[in-house]
Amino acid sequence: MKILFYRLALAATILVFPIQTWAGDHVFDSGFDDQAEGPHSDAEAARFLTQATFGPTLTEISRLRALGYNAWIADQAAQPASHEREYMEDLENAGLDVYQSARQEAWWRHAITGPDQLRLRVAFALSELFVVSDQSGDAGGQPIAMGNYYDLLTDNAFGNYRSLLEQVTLSPIMGHYLSMFKNQKPDTAANIRPDENYAREVMQLFSIGLVRLNADGSLQMSGGQPVPTYGQDTIRGFAHVFTGWNYANCPRNQGGQSWEWEYCPSGPVDWPNPGWNASWFLPMESWENYHASAEDKQLLDYPGVNLPNGLLSGGGTAASDLGAALDNIFQHPNVGPFIARHLIKRLVTSNPSPAYVGRVAATFANNGVGVRGDLGATVRAVLMDTEARHLPSLASNGGKMREPLLRQTHLWRAMHATSNDSRYREWNSEIYLGQAALRAPTVFNFFLPDYSPPGELSALGLIAPEFQIVTDTSVASVANALGSKTFWYWLGNPWYSPEDVVVDLDTELPFANDPIRLIDRYDLLFMNRTMSDAMFTTLVNYVQGMPNVDTEDRRERVQDAIWLIQTSPEYVIER
Amino acid sequence: MKRRDFIQRALCATASSAMFTSFAGKLSLAHAAATSGKRLLGNDYRALVCVYLYGGNDGFNMLVPRSTAEYNQYATSRGNLALPSANLLSLNPSVAPIGGASFGLNPAMPLMRDLFNQTQSPLAIATNVGPLLYPITKAQYEAESVPVPKQLFSHIDQNVTWLQTRADAIDRHGWGGRLADMFHTSNANQQLSMNISIDGENVFQAGEDVFPYFVGEDGARGLDDVPVWRTNRRAAFTALRDAAHGNALQRQYASVVRRSMDNQVMVADALDGESALATTFPDSPLGRKLRMVARLINVRGGLQMQRQIFYVGLGGFDTHDNQLSDQADRLGELDAALAAFHAATAEMSVDNSVTTFTASEFGRTTSVNGDGTDHGWGSHHLVMGGAVNGRRIYGTPPNLTVEGPDDAGWGQIIPTTSVDQYAATIAGWYGVPAGDMSTVFPNIGRFESADLGFLS
Repeated sequence: MKILFYRLALAATILVFPIQTWAGDHVFDSGFDDQAEGPHSDAEAARFLTQATFGPTLTEISRLRALGYNAWIADQAAQPASHEREYMEDLENAGLDVYQSARQEAWWRHAITGPDQLRLRVAFALSELFVVSDQSGDAGGQPIAMGNYYDLLTDNAFGNYRSLLEQVTLSPIMGHYLSMFKNQKPDTAANIRPDENYAREVMQLFSIGLVRLNADGSLQMSGGQPVPTYGQDTIRGFAHVFTGWNYANCPRNQGGQSWEWEYCPSGPVDWPNPGWNASWFLPMESWENYHASAEDKQLLDYPGVNLPNGLLSGGGTAASDLGAALDNIFQHPNVGPFIARHLIKRLVTSNPSPAYVGRVAATFANNGVGVRGDLGATVRAVLMDTEARHLPSLASNGGKMREPLLRQTHLWRAMHATSNDSRYREWNSEIYLGQAALRAPTVFNFFLPDYSPPGELSALGLIAPEFQIVTDTSVASVANALGSKTFWYWLGNPWYSPEDVVVDLDTELPFANDPIRLIDRYDLLFMNRTMSDAMFTTLVNYVQGMPNVDTEDRRERVQDAIWLIQTSPEYVIER
Repeated sequence: MKRRDFIQRALCATASSAMFTSFAGKLSLAHAAATSGKRLLGNDYRALVCVYLYGGNDGFNMLVPRSTAEYNQYATSRGNLALPSANLLSLNPSVAPIGGASFGLNPAMPLMRDLFNQTQSPLAIATNVGPLLYPITKAQYEAESVPVPKQLFSHIDQNVTWLQTRADAIDRHGWGGRLADMFHTSNANQQLSMNISIDGENVFQAGEDVFPYFVGEDGARGLDDVPVWRTNRRAAFTALRDAAHGNALQRQYASVVRRSMDNQVMVADALDGESALATTFPDSPLGRKLRMVARLINVRGGLQMQRQIFYVGLGGFDTHDNQLSDQADRLGELDAALAAFHAATAEMSVDNSVTTFTASEFGRTTSVNGDGTDHGWGSHHLVMGGAVNGRRIYGTPPNLTVEGPDDAGWGQIIPTTSVDQYAATIAGWYGVPAGDMSTVFPNIGRFESADLGFLS
């Protein structure tokens, strides 16, 4: 009780804006309409930043409070995009060899220091939808082009889904990853038919999913069974559509002969001459003589479909067929709820109410001025929804597990981690976190969107996708990784190389004298003040029991507090 | 009575028992008495090892017909992906397979060829296995007069379907999990799960009562920063972990951490006391995983395990492109790792007690998309172990002709054996009595036989 008394008293004195009390997140709320005028407290600001960035910092909390949500989002939308390609080419121009590790460096640097946090966070969410991975040989050999693919997601984070879908489809990285690159029309004599890979996954994973959804994301049922969105005929139809695409700028001096198609180079000259892989950075280009033009193609059939019964008549060009097919996908009623659910799960909560999904899907369908597929408006709807902005009760099981990658970005942002040359040599986080950007084991991402672990969660009908990478092994390796980043890699530790990324604990040391202030600080910074009284008490008592004689003691107090919070169930499940 | 209800009642009945082992013993006896079949066996040891081939292994380029007529069908369908007949590793079965054709293995699999061809062979091949709801002919498939599993040809769905082996199930329990629900009380150790995965989460091992335990290829991993000697930090960590959490996701996370820490100590202690195996394993991902399985079997006494089910995986079989070289690499890795694992079980004298089998979400189309193949349906599988009636090719090898009698369309071959039958044969050897088979495999009665004969 004593500690709790202090906790309350303290909260009233140390706020950035002391006029509002920490407990009163909603004291100034008059209803659901004014949430865009917030945040009304540091805790609300921290909670928003947990969803919209790679982790809150005290500076950003203050800034968000000064600006308000609307102005903050507008400011983010106006920020220029941080580009991985640019970062990697700078390294290359400095004479360094550039591998996928350089792409990881770029990702970490932007996640920790990028001013365009919302754009980058949405791009990361999109990278878990439009999955490509450097674990696949062809794309893995093109690190800068993969960085460029990520930039495509970043550039389109607030753009239009239809345009993004087309850019993804024509990216040589995706073309190689899901084998649409050099996919060719049927050759019945050789028993060769179009590759179905991209046709299948663009529908199943990138846009509509396997079963028909209502406008609020709930399943349409028929005779007690979900209704499939398409069958094998449709996959074959799309497989025919996605034929006839090769690198840009192929020489076709001999009229597009088969050897020209087959041996089309990815650039004007061979490696290592400049420009040898230039076409990896350009949209693929069509070859009509390799496109399956003649056949009628069964595309998606759904209420209100433009094509009669979803059938695309033969005779189109590679480009016109592609355009018609992507329109056919884009207009499917599933896309809105499908994308809404994905973004809500990546940013806010694993188990949104159907009404929440429905509101976001409605924004996807129409941004207010009649445009379908506006991702900027959709992201805003995800973040500014009532259900996103109000702290869910514990019993409602709201919230989600933090992705392991985001636990480390959170630590590093909160503690201003950097290296002597501002490079983030975090090259293989998948080994200990089970995640690294564009490094999923398969096109199914690190986890499936509807995964529910066996046991209580399954019994309650709750989804918790991130739990698919929570194993007896991984809980230990993630905790150990965060431990090494906290206990060992700190600024001033003489044992480590200046090239290592280190957290800066110096600004934390003054708080170590006063365990209540220390834990309160981290309650805000790491848990947007959702820490239970029991947890608060446990941590204060523990830190109080640690020595406090010299700087080293105080540093250990800080380190222990941070690590114990970052490995606690209350932190790992963000609310 | 639902099994879970039963266990809960048994728990109440023995709640006064302070001794963990005596509790387990009572539970086992009570449980055995309450169910129809025998669930507790003697002091013997039995283990299953599921080797999952992620992406859909092309069984039709793993086991290839060599006799002229069948080879020509294959070669016509496969065009530029057809393996030259002369390169196939000839198999010499003791009994001619149905149809009488001769077969060879992919050239990347010489060690499996050797195992297959030896007398007292521990290797059998089950042909054209795949998910089915009922036996089905091409005519029935085309007329849609017999139901088929939902979302055929989709990776995720057919992965789940294969491992549930119950194509119309609505839950996500696998048949390895259902076996564990039945048999886990056989183990004196009731803390460590009898289902251990060296490849993370999977549907196969998830049961209603038993959840898999995960280890890495180097063993169980502990939390470095809460060693026992850090008494206070460990106490604080444990207090935060074990608090009464109000949110179900928090409780789930806490339970995984708790289980991880408890089991890590047990597994690490057991492995520390291991007398090292002489068998060397290839230093490949699958080799390292199967080495860990062998090591865990090696310390089964220390872990007090009599019934175990292991799961390992190997990725890279989704060969839409570049199939000839990519699949050969994967099959070569499989070949070397399986052979080493079998040798290790022989070294431990448990080769008759350990059965290893492959699973994969589907086979691949007999037709070609350029330099690869697309998602198919039926495929061939390997079953290995001392209890295997080896040197035989089981089931009905399909006609590989595109648009032939077994082709559902574009070379997606209709299975002639259901996964239920394949799995039930293995489960029968593991100890499931015939009378209980339909509990584990509810659809098994729809098929001709629950025992394909490849195990004794």
